[in-house]
Amino acid sequence: MDRALRRRLEARFGDRLTGPVRQRHDETEIRVGPGDVPDTLRTLHDDPSFRFEFLADLCGVDTGLVMQVVYHLWSETTTDWLRVIADGLSRDDPRVPSITSLWKGAEWMEREAYDMFGITFEGNRDLRRIYMPPDYTSFPLRKDFFLADDAARSPGAGVRHQEQTHTPRNAPPGRAIRVAKEA
Amino acid sequence: MTTSHEGPRLRQQSQDDPRVMLDIDAGAFEPVPPYPPRTEREAEFYTLGDGEMFLNMGPQHPSTHGVLRIVLKLNGEQVVDLDPVLGYLHRGVEKISENSDYHHIVNQLDPLEYVSALFNEWAYVMAGEKLLDLQVPRRAEYIRVLSSELLRISSHCLFMGWFALDLGGLTPVLWSFIERDEIVEMLGALTGARMLFNYFRFGGVNGDLNHEFMSRLGSWMSRAASHVEANTRLLNENEIFVRRSRGLGVVDRETALRMCMTGPNLRATGVPFDVRRAHPYSVYPELDFDIPTRSEGDSLARYLLRVDEIKQSLRIIDQCLHQMPDGPVMAKIPRKITPRPGRAYAAVESPRGQYAIYMMSDGTDQPFRLRIHDPSFLHLQSVGLLMPGNLVADTMAVMASLDPVMGGVDK
Amino acid sequence: MTTVSRAWSRLTLPGKLIFTLIPLLAALTVGLLVALLLIGPFVWTFLTDNLPLVRFVIAATAVLLMSIPTAFIIIYMEMKIIAQMNLRIGPDRVGPYGSLLSVVHGLKVLVKEDFTPTGADTPVFTLAPVVVYLGAVMSLMVIPFAPGLFGQDFNIGLLYFFAVGGLSVVGLMMAGWSSYNKYSLLGGLRSAAQVISYEIPLTLSVVGLLMLAGTMSLNTIVLNQSGSILDWYIFRQPLGFLIFFIAATAEANRTPFDLTEADSEIVAGFATEYSGMRFGFFFFAEYVGVFIVSAMTVTLFLGGWNAPFDWPWPITVNPDPGSLGILLLILIGVVPVLSTLAFAAPFWLLRSNMPGWQALIIGFVISNLVAVAAVLGWAFISFDWVVGLLWFMLKTYAFVFTFVWMRGTLPRVRIDQLMGFAWKWLLPAALLNLFVTAGALIVLNR
Repeated sequence: MDRALRRRLEARFGDRLTGPVRQRHDETEIRVGPGDVPDTLRTLHDDPSFRFEFLADLCGVDTGLVMQVVYHLWSETTTDWLRVIADGLSRDDPRVPSITSLWKGAEWMEREAYDMFGITFEGNRDLRRIYMPPDYTSFPLRKDFFLADDAARSPGAGVRHQEQTHTPRNAPPGRAIRVAKEA
Repeated sequence: MTTSHEGPRLRQQSQDDPRVMLDIDAGAFEPVPPYPPRTEREAEFYTLGDGEMFLNMGPQHPSTHGVLRIVLKLNGEQVVDLDPVLGYLHRGVEKISENSDYHHIVNQLDPLEYVSALFNEWAYVMAGEKLLDLQVPRRAEYIRVLSSELLRISSHCLFMGWFALDLGGLTPVLWSFIERDEIVEMLGALTGARMLFNYFRFGGVNGDLNHEFMSRLGSWMSRAASHVEANTRLLNENEIFVRRSRGLGVVDRETALRMCMTGPNLRATGVPFDVRRAHPYSVYPELDFDIPTRSEGDSLARYLLRVDEIKQSLRIIDQCLHQMPDGPVMAKIPRKITPRPGRAYAAVESPRGQYAIYMMSDGTDQPFRLRIHDPSFLHLQSVGLLMPGNLVADTMAVMASLDPVMGGVDK
Repeated sequence: MTTVSRAWSRLTLPGKLIFTLIPLLAALTVGLLVALLLIGPFVWTFLTDNLPLVRFVIAATAVLLMSIPTAFIIIYMEMKIIAQMNLRIGPDRVGPYGSLLSVVHGLKVLVKEDFTPTGADTPVFTLAPVVVYLGAVMSLMVIPFAPGLFGQDFNIGLLYFFAVGGLSVVGLMMAGWSSYNKYSLLGGLRSAAQVISYEIPLTLSVVGLLMLAGTMSLNTIVLNQSGSILDWYIFRQPLGFLIFFIAATAEANRTPFDLTEADSEIVAGFATEYSGMRFGFFFFAEYVGVFIVSAMTVTLFLGGWNAPFDWPWPITVNPDPGSLGILLLILIGVVPVLSTLAFAAPFWLLRSNMPGWQALIIGFVISNLVAVAAVLGWAFISFDWVVGLLWFMLKTYAFVFTFVWMRGTLPRVRIDQLMGFAWKWLLPAALLNLFVTAGALIVLNR
């Protein structure tokens, strides 16, 4: 737990953060709005006091209320992992600027987030499906994805017996989905 | 050109009447997708220049490292561009985990990087221990390190054999598999399974060291160094092997950092980043080992680096055996695991790179989100950067030198 | 007619076969006898007038037939030897120590489904394996296996060998092109480039030898090397031998130059779309090719059928069976039985649970083997062609072992490294060899 890091983050990004800087064990977490993501990450990458040159992970999260994109960074200057959460993406049309200009390796991770959640990364040159077939219509890791209904809608429906719905499950539109409980 | 909606019908027809297959025109065999390009990169890739052709190294191929499809754009024998197509082994592990108890997930994470399964479990149990605020007994930590380092040696031996096989040599793979077989038998005596171990638990490991494991380990350790030396000498001093792999697929520092590479692939370019030293976990701060680094960044450097890592792993195993403390191997945890609501990120150094688990818990006994970050996923991205200018024969060699495991790539 | 048809329908299938075939066979036999009687004498006089033609036909048939067991032996050798190098066992179930596995493979390719892929050019696709196999087998005609044992002694035998060896390139290209498959195309083009590049050092490396020998007839080249082991051309043309060996490895598409069939890159190269006997042709042609390049190396550089040393003592055996008279008949009746019993006895006595008939069978087999060995030994002593054949086969199979050894040990080179090696290293070396030999000949005024 690096207190100095927390102070530096609050000093530098205080206005952009949408929540307090949290720390637990060896992780530091900051939350920003989706539009601030490229600037924040670029500052964290370039600034000599931060030097977060290493992007460890990029993923999407569906909290049931909003969508989030979570970045994990590592720097030589601190012993903590830094987690940057782009918070507050709408669940209907989640959009976030892409960071492929900073790290080209984020391209496939953003493709995976698009494929699984439907999050559009603006500026990614190659935003197509990566795991699912290119004509798939649903986004599997969303909380309102139910396999049986999806199989009935998909072009592959009924080809293999595993995809047949053995018990009809027509999901009513207002079916409750799981919502995250933040500590 | 048929759209995918007509796909099943056509297959059904052709089962009844084989003559229908003759109506498929030549274009149906091209690996081009049957819709207009949707992204810039697709448009750039799927338009042919002068004298170029597509070659599909399909999911069924004698030497892709699992089910992977690569569409190559060739100009004769030279590769102009390449596009890996994934998803043939996608099992939806993340989604399944959201509906599973925390206990079950350890077993589900094994088949991801099936070659080195314990690292998958390790990252997960570390993340869980952060959310449960658990302290793992020291003996359990040492056993974790011991078994994982054994598995690292096994995985690197597999890599050596596979690399040589993709270059055409038939013998090294079988010699390396002798090492791997012995290690896998050892770990089978310890954990009960040879490949998908299901050994780590929140708070420790599933069983103490037993007599059979220790005797196998002892007899193997006495020969390990000389066997590994003999295996590597077969390749290091082979002129053809060295000529093929030197200067092949060179990655420089900036490219490696930009492509988010980790593990031996990154260390071969000169960046001494190893999660065990950069962000120490478990009992690695107490162990004395070096981080081998090379600066050339070509396939030969990656191969030699992994050989050096085997030697370092042998050192670590030796120290573990000498410093093994007594005590319990499992902390006390409740039967139904309900971590506090929150998020945790844990990363381990797997033989391929940084393997990480990002876990979100909402207080119930099923995780809310389990994100699996696999190193081979990012390394496959880099193949597209390394190949242009090389020949078709080198595609497999470069991929083999990056050591991907498709189970992890496709999750 | 109804009685006939009713009787016919009551017959079983074997019965139907018998009743159709026997009249047919009878008619054919009668027809053959008539034909023989009518034109027999003319055919006989024709054959006796053209004995060389008869000899050629018999030799060609024998060579063609012997190529298949040779391929079988070499395939088995390769599987077993590479397995031992890989610390495995290799085939050990089919036949004693797995030796019949090659035969089983041969039968298997005969019964596999034989299809032509959609879009393939069928005449070319069908002919390609034939051309490749022909290119391999035709070169067996000129190889002198033993004094007096060769297909045909051309006075341009060496040139014929190189020409026919190039024929297989055409076959590989045909296979690669007609398969309608990009992998096959890549394989076929690679093979064409490789074989053409390595033909030049191959032919140039033996020109020095040609200058020394003064003839292109292979039989004469082998005769020139008779005498002592130091007459062998390897001592007079060491660089030529080395270049020939390397270029011949590339010609035969063997590791480290086996990119045309590189498993790990292009599935099976030019042979991707082939199955069944067509693939069997390619398979056999490759192994016959290994035999041929080994045989050629031995013929040109290692003295062919010449023995490296002479027997230090003369042995003559002159059995004269006719002088035994009635004793011969008694021996023919008694000796096999006695030897069977003699060889069966130890097995039956020492192994308590072996039934008697099994011991007798073992005894019979062993006594047959001993008899064959005795006859071979007598032939070895009495006929010089047996000695020559034995030495030739020993030397050739030593080189086949070397090829198999290389396959088990070495990885594959890349196509550009391969071409670079041929054009930048082997060709200048062959030219150097040529100039040095020519200069030495002029200086020594041979």
